[in-house]
Amino acid sequence: MRMDTVIMGGGLSGLTCGIALAKRGQRVTIIASGQSTLLFNGGSMELLGSIDGQAVMAPLEAIPTLPQDHPYSKIGASRIAALANEAKELLADANISMEGNAEVNHWRVTPMGVAKPAWLTLSENLRIDDLAKLPAKHVALMCIRGFFDQPNGMLAQGLQKLGFDVKRIEFTTDDITALRRSPSEMRAASLAKHLVSNNALQRVADQINTLAGDAEMVLLPSVLGQNDESYFKALESMVNKPLRLIATLPPAVAGSRMQTLLRHYFQMLGGNYLMGDTAVSGNFEDGKLLSVTTAKLGDMPLRADNFVLATGSFVSRGLIADYERVYEPIFNLDVDADSDRELWTRFGILEPQAYSRYGVATDNELRCLKQGKPIQNLRAIGSVLSGHDAIKMGDGTGVSLLTALAAAQSTLQGKR
Amino acid sequence: MAEKMQLCNISENNFEQCTKCSICTTVCPVAAVTTDYPGPKQAGPDGARYRLKDKAYYDKMLKLCLNCKRCEVACPSDVHIADIIQRARMSASEGRRASLRDTLLANTDLLGTVANLVAPVANATLGLKPTKLVMHSVMAIDKHRTFPAYSRTKFETWFKRHAASQQDAFSNHVSYFHGCYVNYNFPKLGQDLVKLMNSIGYGVHLLDKEQCCGVALIANGLFKQAKRQARVNATSIRQAVNGDGRTVLTTSSSCTFNLRDEYPAILDVDTSDVRNSIMLATRFIYNLVDEERIKLVFKKDYKRRIAYHTACHMERMGWQLYSIELLRMIPGLDLQLLEQECCGISGTYGFKKENYERSQAIGSILFKHIEDAQVEAVATDCETCKWQIEMSTGLPVENPISILADALDVEATRLANNLTNN
Amino acid sequence: MVTSEVYKKEFDVIIIGGGATGAGTARDCALRGLSVLLVERFDYSTGATGRNHGLMHSGARYAVTDGESAKECISENMTLRRIARHCVEETDGLFITLPEDDLEYQKTFVEACQRAGIRADVIAPDEARQIEPAVNPDLIGAVRIPDASIDPFRLTVANLLDARLHGAETLNYHEVDGLIINQNRVEGVKLINKQNGEHVEVRGRVVVNAAGIWGQRIIQMAGANISMFPARGALLIFGHRVNHMVINRCRKPANADILVPDDTVCVIGTTSDRIPIEAVDDMRVTREEVDVLLKEGIKLAPSLATTRVIRAYAGVRPLVASDDDPSGRSISRGIVCLDHAKRDGIEGFITIIGGKMMTYRLMGEIAADAVCAKLGNTAPCLTAKLPLPGSEEDAPRQSDLTKRYSFGQRAAIGRHGSLAARIEKENDIDNALVCECEGVTVGEIKYAVHQLHVHNLVNLRRRTRVGMGTCQGKLCSCRAASLLGEFSHDVKRAQEDLADFLDERWKGMRPVAWGDTLREAQLTANIYQGLCGLDTAVNRQGKEDVQ
Repeated sequence: MRMDTVIMGGGLSGLTCGIALAKRGQRVTIIASGQSTLLFNGGSMELLGSIDGQAVMAPLEAIPTLPQDHPYSKIGASRIAALANEAKELLADANISMEGNAEVNHWRVTPMGVAKPAWLTLSENLRIDDLAKLPAKHVALMCIRGFFDQPNGMLAQGLQKLGFDVKRIEFTTDDITALRRSPSEMRAASLAKHLVSNNALQRVADQINTLAGDAEMVLLPSVLGQNDESYFKALESMVNKPLRLIATLPPAVAGSRMQTLLRHYFQMLGGNYLMGDTAVSGNFEDGKLLSVTTAKLGDMPLRADNFVLATGSFVSRGLIADYERVYEPIFNLDVDADSDRELWTRFGILEPQAYSRYGVATDNELRCLKQGKPIQNLRAIGSVLSGHDAIKMGDGTGVSLLTALAAAQSTLQGKR
Repeated sequence: MAEKMQLCNISENNFEQCTKCSICTTVCPVAAVTTDYPGPKQAGPDGARYRLKDKAYYDKMLKLCLNCKRCEVACPSDVHIADIIQRARMSASEGRRASLRDTLLANTDLLGTVANLVAPVANATLGLKPTKLVMHSVMAIDKHRTFPAYSRTKFETWFKRHAASQQDAFSNHVSYFHGCYVNYNFPKLGQDLVKLMNSIGYGVHLLDKEQCCGVALIANGLFKQAKRQARVNATSIRQAVNGDGRTVLTTSSSCTFNLRDEYPAILDVDTSDVRNSIMLATRFIYNLVDEERIKLVFKKDYKRRIAYHTACHMERMGWQLYSIELLRMIPGLDLQLLEQECCGISGTYGFKKENYERSQAIGSILFKHIEDAQVEAVATDCETCKWQIEMSTGLPVENPISILADALDVEATRLANNLTNN
Repeated sequence: MVTSEVYKKEFDVIIIGGGATGAGTARDCALRGLSVLLVERFDYSTGATGRNHGLMHSGARYAVTDGESAKECISENMTLRRIARHCVEETDGLFITLPEDDLEYQKTFVEACQRAGIRADVIAPDEARQIEPAVNPDLIGAVRIPDASIDPFRLTVANLLDARLHGAETLNYHEVDGLIINQNRVEGVKLINKQNGEHVEVRGRVVVNAAGIWGQRIIQMAGANISMFPARGALLIFGHRVNHMVINRCRKPANADILVPDDTVCVIGTTSDRIPIEAVDDMRVTREEVDVLLKEGIKLAPSLATTRVIRAYAGVRPLVASDDDPSGRSISRGIVCLDHAKRDGIEGFITIIGGKMMTYRLMGEIAADAVCAKLGNTAPCLTAKLPLPGSEEDAPRQSDLTKRYSFGQRAAIGRHGSLAARIEKENDIDNALVCECEGVTVGEIKYAVHQLHVHNLVNLRRRTRVGMGTCQGKLCSCRAASLLGEFSHDVKRAQEDLADFLDERWKGMRPVAWGDTLREAQLTANIYQGLCGLDTAVNRQGKEDVQ
């Protein structure tokens, strides 16, 4: 099977790159080994949130100060603003309504009520532009009885620390109570699947309208709409106060929806999305990748002019650490990683961990290196890249989006 | 240090690669409609650790699993969640007898043989209200179900009478595992395949001995019988592949998946030596086109709007790409892709009285998508999806092979492939 | 009794140390009618009790080298099967001879077992492969012996529960920082309440030092001395059971020659290294220890080479030098009971040390005998006769579990025996799972918090197995921390506790952080730091390891 571009990895970066290419008329196939880490995202994108433990509020100003091996430095600090714009438009085109801009970070509110710098946040989520000017003072924190994937106490405490007056209100409805009959399956996603009919939403709205008292704003865990935001909008229209959602522990409904909407958009543009398949090897010739073989297509490899590696970090198995070494499993590409196992990690779980920075080695055009030489038509994007610690820097989603768009541009240029 | 130490984790069906990310729980169609089912994570990898400690931890609610494999497709860690669950069911079922109903539903070929002999009576009887009520109450087969109509002539009989003699004349050859559905209910699909293959210069042959692939036997817990039949099929397939040098084509995604993957994973019948030679006809044909070894020419006046539904086992195999790409080659076909959702039937699951409502609830999302798509027909590679979707939406459901055969300009295709009349 | 009243009371006996030995001594004394206080500086079973194989020796391992210990073991082994049924799994064990071992040793071994009264059946390698498919198939000899697995956390708690049922008081997080000594007589203990920093003194007629390796310091507080030789042993936990029988090497005891199926996991160990007494609190496992354990472990069960390692941990054996040879060349592995009146001229002070986790009851009996002798109490020891709470004759057994129980309820019966009946299960929320790997429900957590002295998540883990499964607390710890926050009305502490707990889990994961364990760690970091911002919410800098 012949494609213009084959992308390995179907998460945020793979889909973004696929969309950018399909929009320009390319025939693109994405190979996705299962769902992506986007399902752990509560509904925000981060360009750059922190340097050396200090919050970054103006990411575009801070990015030029990043070290040379940072993916942003590789794609060029001067291109960041334009790429960020393009990313924001692409998300909007996929029906993901997010607010924010790259000039100034706003604050997203985490499931534990911590404010973290963010670039874009879903319109339905609580977002704070200025900590000195909260969007509301008195808030009703609606807690769903029997739902344990939102740490309500910590959340309420965190919100209070930020300056909100929090009234914690526990509530349930018949639908929700019925769901709790399952000892294990009352998760954010299961709630989202059950809160879809107008009646079920009205019952939630009735509870909120009865219990929220004189609060200026109502906060609810993000349990609405696995596939689109219409359920939030429906509930919002039934509630007689401003309504905002707060991310839950994963799998997150918002992340799940973003993943679905991006995939829909990609497929609508004619892209092929091979869910549950994995690239297993490649066929190289003269420093070029000719085709990749996948686990399921077997003896019919996918041929293409260009290839993109968007397989993610260890958690997504884009990188593998075994007893002896860190490696890239499909092509055995060069990796930036320590060879001594002792150096991969540090005691202290909240300490920066070296493995977070590991990734595939690339040249300045994000072309993957194999035995020190760049592969002309294979680019790496997203979390599989080395040179940044997404946990500590708050730049994971930004790197995924922007490297994807940069790689799409060079892929298109290379084609010409 | 010793070789291969800790280079990978090998636990049965990879259950220990599970990072407890819980993504599988978001796609399970059963847990979405009933709180009685513990969900794929709990039933699969979590439960597996406890069942290793003591079999007493087996949860009988595992029987609610559809074995649709959506959890496996979603799993980012390659945990064979549904296989873990089927294995646990198999181990718990040892020494237990299946009910008459389950045995009947599972033996699609036995039921078919009997029904074919008396097809008009069977069709009438199986459709009659009193019969349905008896089946509902005595047999626990849901009264809402209409059994797929039985054909008066089996496919095998038709093939021997009308097609077999012409097949040797072709220069290329394939074998065909037609499955119970084509044989007893819908010979037309098999006829369409023969028509299509013959048009591109391939002779089609039956296997020496074909038995039901056993997908329904597995689902109904009749593992011993499934194993027996699997061995017979494995032998016939080996003969075709190794003896006659033929690829074995199929037109049912569930049969294909079962022959290739479930035989070794669940039934311990190793088919790895011939696995690559068992494939859906759409994959085989797509590849011929892709390698420019054949050409397909379609009717100029063909015009239809059809939605493609990816059957769960099709997605698990990852082969929907071939069916979709082939259908996209038909110029007059407006193909709409449906979001992958389970139709709820899962073989014989939805036929059981206790599952009927759950089955329809599961399928409701898909039925809504189909309605929204505003199409005149639905395409899918799975026959049980066909029954369910036809019953629930009233739309005709066709196999991609039938659509291709229908849209194909046979004469032009034969010419394009340099076939002379014979 | 509220804590402040405990401080005011004078006890017959104060026991220092909340490990199995201390708990067993407390139970024994309480059953004999003494008024008892047990104090523990951290949580119960924090020390050596919770840091071993979880093996209920048949004694076979000691038969050749130490017949006395072997006899003690088999006798206690049979007793514990009766009295601690819900803590014990009767797995049986194998002693296997590999091609590189001397098969002659098997003969010596079997004879020694017979001398000690341990059933030892020589079986054919084929039979061994059949009854334990995980065993190294290259084995050339096998002996079946009555080893079993035992859960030390549950065992300790059950002893404490019974002690309390019989009037004993127990205080965890109370550290002894001195003894009350009056004219060569120990009359009580000086305590620091580690939760609020309060200093108090509590009086007792006899003080029993059951503090294990940390008992050396207690003896020094009394003005005496003892030579202890801490021997450190590291172990690895695998994600699931590969074996269902204990597998031992039939040779002189060496590194990593025992593989024990414990609850949902299996454990290989141990290494053995002498360490200086100052190092007994550093329990970090080194890379070398991990390497040795894996290399040797796969000789017992080759599948360990490809099984996920979820954790590494280490413990310290409290070995004591004989009084007549303080050099440490002749070390006793047996039970040592010192009456400091006879030994050092200090009245009212007894040290019980040495032995093994599984001989805790006998140690308790010996210590209680010594206490009773001092107090003139003549009541007989009952601990070998009366079953522990949870293990009564009519308690449900794991194998009796019927379909009417949910997964969580069944898991709880496996853990708490008949005491599981105390777990609320009437409403759906009580039945909801907090820890999905180990099947811990909201009801079980309530029970643990209200009845089993739980102050933090680490305590909760020891009582219930929360966070001990494959994901090492990734999913459940936030849920459990929230519940603890609700119960204690102290959310801030619950959040810090969560960070401490995750850190404690990481301590054990880090030495084995490759493969899926590293993936698990990265996912945990994504969730708690990336998604939740826990690192911003709490400050762990300069924090001690949580116990």
